[in-house]
Amino acid sequence: MGSDYAIEAEGLRRTYRGRTGWLRPRRTEVEAVRGVSFTVGRGELFGLLGPNGAGKTTTIKMLNTLLLPTSGSARVCGHDVVRQTREVRRRIGYVFGGDRGLYDRLSALDNLRYFAELYGVAPREQKRRIAELLELVGLAGRERERVEGYSRGMRQRLHIARGLLHSPEVLFLDEPSIGVDPVAARELRRTVGDLAAAGTTVLLTTHYMAEADELCDRIAVIADGRIQSLGTPAELRHHADGRRVVEVEAYGVPEAAVGALRGLPGVRETAIEERGALQLLTVQSDAHVDVQGDILRELAGIRLGRVTSREPTLEDAYVAIVNAARPPEESREAIVNAA
Amino acid sequence: MAIGGVLAYRALFNWTRPAIFVGTLLVGPLFQLLFFAYLGRQLQVADDRFYVVGNAVLAATLAGVFGGTLAVGNERRYGTLGHVLLSPRSRTAVFLGRALPYAGNGVLIAVVTMTVGATLLGLRFPVGAIPGLLLAMAVGSLACAFFGLTLGALGLRFRDVWVVSNVAVALLLLLTGVNVPSTALPGWMVKIGEFLPITHAASAARDLAAGHGLAAAAPALGREALVGLGYAILAAVLLKVFETESRRTASLETL
Amino acid sequence: MRTLRMLALGTLAHVKQMSRSSFEVTIALVVPIVQATLAVYLFRAGHERHALLQAAVGAGLMGVWSSVLFGSGGAIQNQRWQGTLEMIMLVPRRPVLVILPITVATGLTGTYALLATLAWGRLLYGIRLDFVHPVGFVVAAVVCIVALGMFGLLLASTFVLMRNANALTNTLEYPIWLVSGMLVPITVLPAWTGPIAAVLPTTWGARALREATTGGPVWPSVTVCLGISLLCLAVGSISLTYVERRARAAATLALA
Repeated sequence: MGSDYAIEAEGLRRTYRGRTGWLRPRRTEVEAVRGVSFTVGRGELFGLLGPNGAGKTTTIKMLNTLLLPTSGSARVCGHDVVRQTREVRRRIGYVFGGDRGLYDRLSALDNLRYFAELYGVAPREQKRRIAELLELVGLAGRERERVEGYSRGMRQRLHIARGLLHSPEVLFLDEPSIGVDPVAARELRRTVGDLAAAGTTVLLTTHYMAEADELCDRIAVIADGRIQSLGTPAELRHHADGRRVVEVEAYGVPEAAVGALRGLPGVRETAIEERGALQLLTVQSDAHVDVQGDILRELAGIRLGRVTSREPTLEDAYVAIVNAARPPEESREAIVNAA
Repeated sequence: MAIGGVLAYRALFNWTRPAIFVGTLLVGPLFQLLFFAYLGRQLQVADDRFYVVGNAVLAATLAGVFGGTLAVGNERRYGTLGHVLLSPRSRTAVFLGRALPYAGNGVLIAVVTMTVGATLLGLRFPVGAIPGLLLAMAVGSLACAFFGLTLGALGLRFRDVWVVSNVAVALLLLLTGVNVPSTALPGWMVKIGEFLPITHAASAARDLAAGHGLAAAAPALGREALVGLGYAILAAVLLKVFETESRRTASLETL
Repeated sequence: MRTLRMLALGTLAHVKQMSRSSFEVTIALVVPIVQATLAVYLFRAGHERHALLQAAVGAGLMGVWSSVLFGSGGAIQNQRWQGTLEMIMLVPRRPVLVILPITVATGLTGTYALLATLAWGRLLYGIRLDFVHPVGFVVAAVVCIVALGMFGLLLASTFVLMRNANALTNTLEYPIWLVSGMLVPITVLPAWTGPIAAVLPTTWGARALREATTGGPVWPSVTVCLGISLLCLAVGSISLTYVERRARAAATLALA
């Protein structure tokens, strides 16, 4: 085919219109994606990374023809996603995370057979292809069981097998590792890596940093409906260049104390992560300022655990990018009154 | 003829939407009434009054049976069953209190169905009969709501409450003598019908609509009230039993 | 050939998926008995004792309609809830080819209601199953079921877009039973319902079955039924294509 790129997106925007309330219906408008442009080369493994609600799924659904863009355009394998829907659909596979999207009361085999028919896989190829895929995702031997008895990880793998039935050129993976245990997630990453190595273009959305770092050739960090940064994992890491990170284990840090930390001279970002009773406080600062003393002074009186100082990682870079994108006031939802 | 509302159970979660409410609870029973009335005319089984009055009273079952089931089912669906069962207030009172709105809803539906049905078929009732008819509908609706609670309690035990309630609605249609005159039904079916809500309320309402006066209808109304009371007690006992049991086996959330 | 194969296997998959729901199974066990009983006693109470077989057939057909009506509306809502609606709309096929197997499957599962009602009629009430045109009956039944599946497609095309199609579904059961004269042709209905009845495939399907049961020219009714249904299929197909595009614009394919 003519195009050099597997995916081309130009200025994609998507607005959702909805209604809330029935006594006094109000029309709501949410701008989920506001101008996203990027290209993905053939055979590339491209990551869309961002917090929940950043617009990842909306972007992927515009590219895979499930949603029409409000404006902008996109092509997959050179075919327009709005006008040449069927051409696009023939060439793509779509897999999303979670345990929905399968026929629960059918066996895995029946699910795969049904979709093989829908995708027009030639009858005499079906048997071989299905067996091959069951082997690939490690479900061989259990294919005659009903899906309702499957674990989340098994369903996820069946999803992937289903998405690959017609040997798509481009595979869209939307948060595939959501709710999957760590071992299964590692298996999943290996499968995805293998697919890309075999020449399938993969567009992966995730909010797991490690997953993106390990798998992706390039990553677009998306937040607030826009791409905030795009590059190889190594390039993205530069966003945290010239910084230093202090990590403090603490118990019961009040909001006010976190706010005070943010105000310290030299401090660039703060993040707090709950780990059971323990809180992990991450403070990024300019590398040339030693803020550790100040931090401990601010946290005086609070029970602390280990305090460490380290070089920034990709995750810190990600935090820096996403925080920079966050508008001062969350004003994404515009509510228009209507009769 | 029994499936009406079978899949309505899926709509129930959206009852708060006006279209669903009107569609399921007002228009549905009206068509049911017309269906049986015309069928009755065609087959010369009974006259319009028989069908209008009977089906109007029967219309209350949808609200009562599904509502009562919902009262218990929703608690479980939203995971609040534990909180309700463990609240210090009398659990029985909490649940019985929940049946009342559905009974009220039932009366409303019955009144609308009867008014519109009678208007469409050109049927007139004596004005003096109206208070009595309202009373019959109220008693019938309340009995239905308690019946619904009983089914809801059974639903705690049998995983799918909607199977129970849909089957119940189907049986009510057949056994209450609303659409097939009880004289035409075999004796054992009539016997079962006597222990179901609506049967007596419908027969009382028919007496009233025929202008026989409240005194003539009183015994049937009394029997209907008795049936309702029976189900109220049964529901309370079942809830108590299942609650104790579920605490013992810790199956409250997984039931 | 390939498309036919896809339609057939798709229908089979959906029949499997539908008929394995414990809810459907329980309802399917109870409802035909109630339907048969109600019909039989109504006919006995009236002056139609001789027409009990006709009553059983009519009651069974009513079951088929219920299955198609709730199935076609409910199945699509179900696809949406299971998250499979997006998956099936995403295949490189015309929407009609994807949805038709679902609606035909609802007709096929409804066949069970027809057979069960007849069986219970025979078992409980000793109704003798002597059809005037046995072959005609089988053909009419098959046509009727496929026809209702196509009619279901037309309903489905509106249901894909409406998140609360249930409101419509719940009100459409009795009127269709009544107007198409499924249990018995109702001559006492107001005259204005006549034209409505004439365009409903259910009317002609019911008529064909009745003619095969008690005698009459089966084939013209079968032909009209099939013709109207094909028209429904055509309109439904066009409307589905439009609806799919609307759904992509309005984002109603995902979970409601």
